[in-house]
Amino acid sequence: MNIIEIKNLSKVYDEKTIPVYALNGVDLAFKQGEFTCIVGPSGSGKTTMLNMLGGLDTPSGGRIMIDGTDITGLKSRQLIDFRLRNIGFVFQSFNLIPVLTARENIEFIMQLQGVNREQRDKRTLELLQSVGLGEKINTRPGKLSGGQQQRVAVARALASKPKFILADEPTANLDSKSAENLLEIMEKLNREENITFIFSTHDSRVVAKARRVVTLEDGKIVSDISKNQGTGIQ
Amino acid sequence: MIFKIAFKNVWRNKVRSLIVITAITLGLSGGIFTVSVITGMVDQKIHSGINNEVSHIQIHNPEFLQNYESRYNIPHPDSIAAIILKTPAVKAVCCRSRITGMAASSNSAAGIQIIGVDPQQEMKVFTLYTSIPDSAGGYFKGSRKNQIVIGRKLADKLKIRLKSKVILRFQNPDGNLTEAAFSVNGIFQSANNVFDEINVFVKKIDLDQVTGSDNGIQEIALIVGDDNKIPEVQASLKARLKGMLVQNWMEIRPDMSMITSAIAIEVYIILGIILFALAFGIVNTMLMIVFERTRELGMLMAVGMSKSRVFRMIMLETVFLTLIGGLIGMALSATLVAVFHRHGIDLSAFSKGLGAFGFDPKIYPFIKRVLYINLSLMIILTGILSAIMPARKALQLKPVEAIRIE
Repeated sequence: MNIIEIKNLSKVYDEKTIPVYALNGVDLAFKQGEFTCIVGPSGSGKTTMLNMLGGLDTPSGGRIMIDGTDITGLKSRQLIDFRLRNIGFVFQSFNLIPVLTARENIEFIMQLQGVNREQRDKRTLELLQSVGLGEKINTRPGKLSGGQQQRVAVARALASKPKFILADEPTANLDSKSAENLLEIMEKLNREENITFIFSTHDSRVVAKARRVVTLEDGKIVSDISKNQGTGIQ
Repeated sequence: MIFKIAFKNVWRNKVRSLIVITAITLGLSGGIFTVSVITGMVDQKIHSGINNEVSHIQIHNPEFLQNYESRYNIPHPDSIAAIILKTPAVKAVCCRSRITGMAASSNSAAGIQIIGVDPQQEMKVFTLYTSIPDSAGGYFKGSRKNQIVIGRKLADKLKIRLKSKVILRFQNPDGNLTEAAFSVNGIFQSANNVFDEINVFVKKIDLDQVTGSDNGIQEIALIVGDDNKIPEVQASLKARLKGMLVQNWMEIRPDMSMITSAIAIEVYIILGIILFALAFGIVNTMLMIVFERTRELGMLMAVGMSKSRVFRMIMLETVFLTLIGGLIGMALSATLVAVFHRHGIDLSAFSKGLGAFGFDPKIYPFIKRVLYINLSLMIILTGILSAIMPARKALQLKPVEAIRIE
């Protein structure tokens, strides 16, 4: 069953002067447990697509159904709550809260959700262990390496038990070893816990690990390759 | 958690936060200290006025206050004094003759109020006797007749010293002009130069002997043990002493009463101006903080932190910053006030000017506890008001744009 269905999605900038199509009539669907990469040259619409999927930006046309909910019809306040309960984010530049420890950064999301302390403590520890940072529980982001910070960011994204995780170029600011390590963790979480990951990336290592690669060009899907099921071009 | 993040965020840029906190601390402690000096001056003026000049409650024949003629006296003063003394909360009472007259020395003359007293009674109600320095004689010391106690200002005006002769001229109860020589027994110096210049004190017995008849009692003054009981005592005496005018110190000296309320307002105006100025610094700092943290705020909104929580977080940060500075400022000012209250601030160099307005040249700064409570609320309010603009700026951020800001 599809957890995300995108129908005829478009985003136009400067609609009234010289219209620029960041996305132009995109149809796409994602199933539970996918490990998908969205690739394409700069300006192809990758980030716009991720912003739309994450409910951070509103489309000019089309629909995005997430687990049966049309998020394009949600109001700003409803979208914030929807994001909190359904979507995990991993950003290019980690974006952890610098004054909080690794544990507090992860716990914070659960506190916003209203999870009780006991469950929060248990899940935070599990998550930090699953990203290999069990010993850095009380360390602040400033004392963690880039790779470690991004692993905390992955754990934070998972904390809310989202339906899927959106990662915008998660390895862009990492050295190759850290990037490799992060990818292994995300792949393991996908494999073992069936967590859906959708990336936008330029990084060939990420592409190599992905089981599905969607290529965008000028706001349109030019290829959609599933490694297990063959190739489909829209 | 919002509380915790907000508090930790205050210390994110320690130098900047410390500068703001220091500004608030210095601004507030300076303001509070200034206020304490003003309050101390006024409080001393009021106390000095009550203790040396008016007491808590005075009783007069209503006609006397219109004409200031000794014939408008209080009938049966001893019975009235006895009634007053039996009134609960009354500590002491004294009866006085008041006559308008002239004091003359070989050099000069001046219009004065002659107050005929029983020194023993008088000393229980008024503390003017404590305003006579050791070098300036005493308060009716010895048993010699026709002693007079005068103020320093009058002594200087008449160019007389201790033991000098002063001629008092006044109308006796029959309306005839009387004069007699009095010997200066003591020279008092209160905080109020005007009072010192126009009031002289003689024993009532001497006054009656000079005029050959009883000059009567024109004024009964009393002191109440507890300031809060003054209205109660006044009401009780008003009910019992029909035909007499029973006034409290605020009615007798509206200038003293007015200065008390004026200062109460002035205090809040001074502190309000200081806090208003500080608010600009706080707004500036918080705006810088919001701009610096645009990406982080965008991230928080992206991951699901509601706008109301973001707003609350910025508000809390501002309030914390203000409150820390405010509390340190209040602690510092409390210490300063306590130290100077113990030792006093000597402004003797300006004693002439201060004395003309009835202020003591040695000031003991003083702050009422209620001011600290109100000030805490004012500081919190300043924090909240200062936070509104930066917090609104944070709300205007769009997460999709904010997370891309480098």
